[in-house]
Amino acid sequence: MKGLLTTTVGSFPKPEYLKKARAKFSRKEITMQELESLERKATEDVIRLQETLGLDILVDGEMYRGDMATFFARNMEGFKISGLVRSYGNRYYKKPVAVRKIKRTKPITTEMFKFTQKLTSKPVKGILTGPYTMTDWSFNEYYSSRKDMIIDLAYAIHDEAVDLESAGARYIQIDEPAISTRPEELDLAIDAMKIVTDGINAKTITHICYGDFEKIYPKMLELPVDQIDLEMANSNFDFLNLFKKYKFTKEIGFGVIDVHTHKTETKEYVKNGIRKALEVFSPDKVFVDPDCGLKTRTEKEAYQKLKVMAEATMDVKKELNIE
Amino acid sequence: MITTVVGNYPKIPNYPREAKLRKAIADFEKGKITKEILSRIEDDVTIEVINEQVNAGVELITDGQIRWEDAQTYFAKKIKGFSINGLIRYFDTNTYYRQPVVENKMEWLTPICVNDFRFAVKHSPVPVKAVITGPYTLARLSKNNHYSSINDLVLDLADVLAKEANALEKAGATFIQIDEPAILKYKDDFSLLNEAVKVITRNLNVKTALYTYFGDIDDLYPDILELPVDVIGLDFVMGKNNFDIIKTTSFTKELGFGIVDARNTKIEKIDEIVNNIKRISNIVPERKLYVNPNCGLEFLPRENAYNKLVNMVKAVNKVRGII
Ligand SMILES: [Zn+2]
Repeated sequence: MKGLLTTTVGSFPKPEYLKKARAKFSRKEITMQELESLERKATEDVIRLQETLGLDILVDGEMYRGDMATFFARNMEGFKISGLVRSYGNRYYKKPVAVRKIKRTKPITTEMFKFTQKLTSKPVKGILTGPYTMTDWSFNEYYSSRKDMIIDLAYAIHDEAVDLESAGARYIQIDEPAISTRPEELDLAIDAMKIVTDGINAKTITHICYGDFEKIYPKMLELPVDQIDLEMANSNFDFLNLFKKYKFTKEIGFGVIDVHTHKTETKEYVKNGIRKALEVFSPDKVFVDPDCGLKTRTEKEAYQKLKVMAEATMDVKKELNIE
Repeated sequence: MITTVVGNYPKIPNYPREAKLRKAIADFEKGKITKEILSRIEDDVTIEVINEQVNAGVELITDGQIRWEDAQTYFAKKIKGFSINGLIRYFDTNTYYRQPVVENKMEWLTPICVNDFRFAVKHSPVPVKAVITGPYTLARLSKNNHYSSINDLVLDLADVLAKEANALEKAGATFIQIDEPAILKYKDDFSLLNEAVKVITRNLNVKTALYTYFGDIDDLYPDILELPVDVIGLDFVMGKNNFDIIKTTSFTKELGFGIVDARNTKIEKIDEIVNNIKRISNIVPERKLYVNPNCGLEFLPRENAYNKLVNMVKAVNKVRGII
């Protein structure tokens, strides 16, 4: 039997030198070329790290991205970027502002994808932010309805997915963390995803987080993707009970590592989570990963957590004779 | 008509103005400055945002809630019986709060925002209103590990907040506002809310208001008029139906008319606000109107918030025939 491939959700912690370089770049103290060369160095390190850990499907670590919505907004036509707003505590961020019709005028992530894929023989996953989340996380000064904005973004992101596939991506993940915010808009999010994944032959994945997916289950299975990636560890794998009631009809990206805690999970805890998953899913349907992106952890924490994840998966595979 | 705000004001301005508070909190967290220096900077910023509201022409202001990390934590930290847990999404916004956990019986130990109120009054040339997070919303947004029912929790919290309201009255408050956005999500609990508000307002001899936001009062009207308060604040941006809903029976209270969108940067034109004031004054006479944004302004960058207040005040003045 085959299965239990390991992967990650997308972001990795940025090394200190890169954080400093990004700050310098924003103060115009270094050039774009200087920043980019450091981003590429950091990307290469992230690839080597994932190879060392023996992960199966790699990511570029998003060394060149800040916020997942503003990154795409900055690279599309129709957006400007707002001043700072507070998200919680002392954390502030800038939001995209739709000020004209939104269009993708050039590829956004393909060049970096090609660069990263050349570094490794393992498949690298292309990662995009979905139209529903882009809209939900933006101000809107142009569109008369959320729907119009979501649909225009869906076409823009579809074009990006097509280009990623042409560039060789075999896995394309479209992140929709905001999708559980308003269950009443789930149909809209599903329609938008239909536009994004239309005609894509690569394996499509969507990552959903920030809990509450009881409210959108089983309806969320209508999302036209091959795999849905969910945070399972931070709710102690409770959602599996829901999947026992209503069959989960897709592959699952099964989060076994809580990305919000400093403490590394024990190997036993992760193994236990995977075993629980296998009570409901066959191994070929389960992709083991952390709950969410790792960018808020330190480099050391991220490494330790992934190491436990990789070793625990390996142990379970041996136990059950899974290749 | 009186122009006012609902509650919070953006804590930091944007470049080239200095984000004093953000830096001070970061420095405090690193141990670089003392608690005393941090609270002096909070005082400075409070004065700054009082002045901004006054300059915009707002006639009844708040202290901007500069010291509040969020509307739940600031109260839960000082009420005995709570502990504070991890981050959780605040309604359908992109902001987060730390979830209070009810571990024990709720008790009022010390004034919560009384000193803040005194400070604001001392530094404001116009009247200041005191705002408290309502018992129902505080209970709903907390995790209850102690009480056997939400009713018991809400009523004990109402006792606690009654003491706070009395202390505010003693400190000179002439207008006390209770914020209850959560009731719009749990309309069946209206009688519980009514009971709780009675507990708070029964010994008060000041003007009282209850504000709702993030939706309409469908199913709560006309019952909401039974609340023992003078002013009811409603959201006419996210609750456009409120125009039609309150037409059905005579609106017997004063109305907090939330008509400027505090969650989107798109600025309302003066005439657009004028038309809305004219529209509402067919239902509620002008002399019974408080004109304000639909919710706190912290979802916006500081400059956008200020510009929106300026237009709101200009619109009110236009209706008054001043300009
Ligand atoms: Zn996530």
